Amino acid sequence: MKYVCVVCGYVYDPAAGDPDSGIAPGTTFENLPDDWICPICGVGKDQFEPEE
Amino acid sequence: MYNRKTIADNIFYVGVNDRQKNLFENYLPLPGGVAYNSYLIIDEKITLIDTVDASLADVYLAKIEAVLQGRAIDYLIVNHMEPDHAGSIGLLKQKYPNLQIVGNRKTFDMLNGYFGINTQLHEVKEGDTLSLGKRTLTFYMAPMVHWPEVMVAYENSDKILFSADAFGTFGTVDGDYLDACINTDKYWDEMRRYYACIVGKFGAPTQNALKKIATLDVQIICSTHGPVWKQEREKVVDLYDKWSRYEAEEEGVVIAFGSMYGHTQQLTEAVAEGITAEGIKNVVIYNVSKTDTSFILSDIFRYKGLIIGSPTYMGGIYPLIEQLLFSIEHRGIKNRLYSCFGSFTWAGAATKQLTAFAQTMGWELVGTPVENKQAVFAQKYQEGFELGQAMGQKLKSLR
Repeated sequence: MKYVCVVCGYVYDPAAGDPDSGIAPGTTFENLPDDWICPICGVGKDQFEPEE
Repeated sequence: MYNRKTIADNIFYVGVNDRQKNLFENYLPLPGGVAYNSYLIIDEKITLIDTVDASLADVYLAKIEAVLQGRAIDYLIVNHMEPDHAGSIGLLKQKYPNLQIVGNRKTFDMLNGYFGINTQLHEVKEGDTLSLGKRTLTFYMAPMVHWPEVMVAYENSDKILFSADAFGTFGTVDGDYLDACINTDKYWDEMRRYYACIVGKFGAPTQNALKKIATLDVQIICSTHGPVWKQEREKVVDLYDKWSRYEAEEEGVVIAFGSMYGHTQQLTEAVAEGITAEGIKNVVIYNVSKTDTSFILSDIFRYKGLIIGSPTYMGGIYPLIEQLLFSIEHRGIKNRLYSCFGSFTWAGAATKQLTAFAQTMGWELVGTPVENKQAVFAQKYQEGFELGQAMGQKLKSLR
């Protein structure tokens, strides 16, 4: 499932991952490290909500 | 003809005042105008920090030329790509074709998108330094204060923070740009309104940026809007800290009401009387049909209490109140004491929807919302008074 940053609107897509932060494609949101931050605005995982 | 204004040895203020524009971002009133600040550092590398709105480019370029007197610019630091600061990049690039643009990866995506500029770039990352000769700049990323590419630059010999939009305010700089040389009274309300409207949604990223800034010894803050803060710098940082935590500045209540024929307004009077009867002095009443939302939003950031009144309109909330609710929800304002009231003629809807707004925002609902049918008589006036009392008592309990 995709997750949306409530602060800036960035969408985390597990299929794409976040290679710039060392997150491989296929990584689910739940499996992101706790210290992972939004690559656009820098807030933590707690600021993300499932995409409707 | 331009007096060269020095912030520190060989650092010049080259910003401009916009006294023409009525609406910032084409929707926020500018009764006192706005300044677009830019700073020029003369060193082995001549360095310009941010630019100004393109509508004032002719004045701006002349101010730069008054300092440079024929020399060229080596570096343009782009802390923020919003057009009120980046608007003159294209013109600068034409006049000084050899200048290198300093920014981060997100800056360059926007630079290419807005101007088609993708060469002579110098990319910086968190904590990177850039030597200008005698002076050195260190860069820190401040994403979402107020766009994702925002960064700040710190000059370590005079301890100057070039802070982009952070610590900015509406209002021109009149005569002198330095806080110690002017009466700053006019800025505090406008700084809050600027924060509430422009940055208000981004409390968490602002807190992140403030934590980084707290590790630096900052003596002078050079923002992109409003005065340069030296004497008042601590107050300015404290205010931004408070607002970005959504903490109210002081005890008091904003009552925002809409009223077509005066009945909801009568309830407003009753509620206000109840609040002051409890010894709460700061009661600020706004008729949403008279006052722009941005001013109301600013006072909602200022005070702990908020009470909203609306007539039922087409089976819902009065349109201008709806706009206010949208503005509040969009900013994600936290920790307010809230209540509501309203009136209707044949089928009540507004008060129920306003009551549900407490849940939407995660706020505590104080007292019993009052819903009045048609004209206001003694019973409903009393209920309005009691609602105000309940809010006043709740605020007193926090003293």
